[in-house]
Amino acid sequence: MRRVLPAACLTICLMAALALAAQELQLPATVNAGSGFAIATSGSGSATFYLVGPSYTAKRQVQLGQEIQVRPPEVRSAGRYLAILRSGGASRSGSFYVSAAKPASLSFLAHPSRIPVGQRGGVVGVAFLFDNWHNLVRRPEDVEFRLSTKNAPAAAQSVRTRDGAAWILMNSGTKAGNAQFVAALDGIEEARVIQQVASDPCHLQIRAERSPRGILVQTAPVRDCSGNPVSDGTVVTFTANSPAGLSTVDVPVKKDIAQVELKIPGPATISVASGVVMGNEVKVGGQQ
Amino acid sequence: MRHALVLALLFVFSASCLAADGPRVQFDISHIGPRQMEEVTGRNIPRDWGRAWQTLAVAFAQNRPDLLGHYFTGFAQQKLTAGIAAQEKSGVRTRYVDHGHKLEAFFYSPDGGALELHDTADLEIQVLDGNNLVHSERVTLRYIGLMTPAADHWEVRVLESVPSF
Repeated sequence: MRRVLPAACLTICLMAALALAAQELQLPATVNAGSGFAIATSGSGSATFYLVGPSYTAKRQVQLGQEIQVRPPEVRSAGRYLAILRSGGASRSGSFYVSAAKPASLSFLAHPSRIPVGQRGGVVGVAFLFDNWHNLVRRPEDVEFRLSTKNAPAAAQSVRTRDGAAWILMNSGTKAGNAQFVAALDGIEEARVIQQVASDPCHLQIRAERSPRGILVQTAPVRDCSGNPVSDGTVVTFTANSPAGLSTVDVPVKKDIAQVELKIPGPATISVASGVVMGNEVKVGGQQ
Repeated sequence: MRHALVLALLFVFSASCLAADGPRVQFDISHIGPRQMEEVTGRNIPRDWGRAWQTLAVAFAQNRPDLLGHYFTGFAQQKLTAGIAAQEKSGVRTRYVDHGHKLEAFFYSPDGGALELHDTADLEIQVLDGNNLVHSERVTLRYIGLMTPAADHWEVRVLESVPSF
């Protein structure tokens, strides 16, 4: 009796498993998006077939014993699909996954849209790969990122995607102007424009001369350390130290230079600065 | 008058469905990169993910694609909208009973503009033909999600179930 009982239990369990397996539809585990396939059926008579996917639901009458054709447009969206075959109150079901087809488009996020030259890791590029039906392509692919400015060598680097995403940090170039930031893969290209502007002023130089109303101070063309003219509006600070005291004037750069007329009749020592950069110092004598 | 009353009742019903607490979402940021997540964002992501799922369930249960715009955008919104249109056309509806999510953030872009997630969802899925239940299952499904920030919350831009992570 002790030996018979476990054997009977095992037999019942096996039969139950076999009966359950018979209720499962034979489906492929994975299908490529937009690729049709056939589902084999057994028996006779008519049945109702349901296909339920992420962006598709259909119901149709089918003949048992004949193959059910799942058409390519029915499986365009990646994700899990349920297939249900219902006949006379009984149903058989199964599920399968649709995975993305080959890459067809890139979603490219570039940041920022404007950046000073010479910024290490300042340009951020993120690319997401999608197939023809906007499914995320999860297979690893190599995306090439290129950053180029006119008359300057381009910087390029290849990055492998993980779960459809590739990202990079690139240095901004040394030349001011519009840079093309491109993400590319197998002939698919997405480009963004990054405006590279001059960085902080460098090597400030001033000259000063006596004028009828005081002292006229003018900078040489203000440039960054790569030689790019700084943007109009960059503030240059002139400081005059005279017997009358210390006076400071902030002047915006206009057409590459900053100038101001200081109403100081006596002798003065004038210095210049912009941000953390100091320029030269000039001594001017008093009015005759 | 009668139509207006029905519409008003429908609105109140759907609004109350969305106002209720969303599904339970456990959020893990221990494998996130390259950017670390700010504390506030770390609180908002599971909240908005849960609300997105809640919206999805109500939208599919009631054939209401107009609800999706609150928490879905881009390709996710397009696909779910198409899904609701297809189920409305076929007369077959999918009902989701949400038993919770284990959400893991693994890619947060350096500029903070995109967040990619792995979600292990415990769902009960019911397929109804008219009012007849033709299929019911409780499953653990894996989803890849891509979220992007909107004005005051995060939106789901990509939502795809996958066989494995």
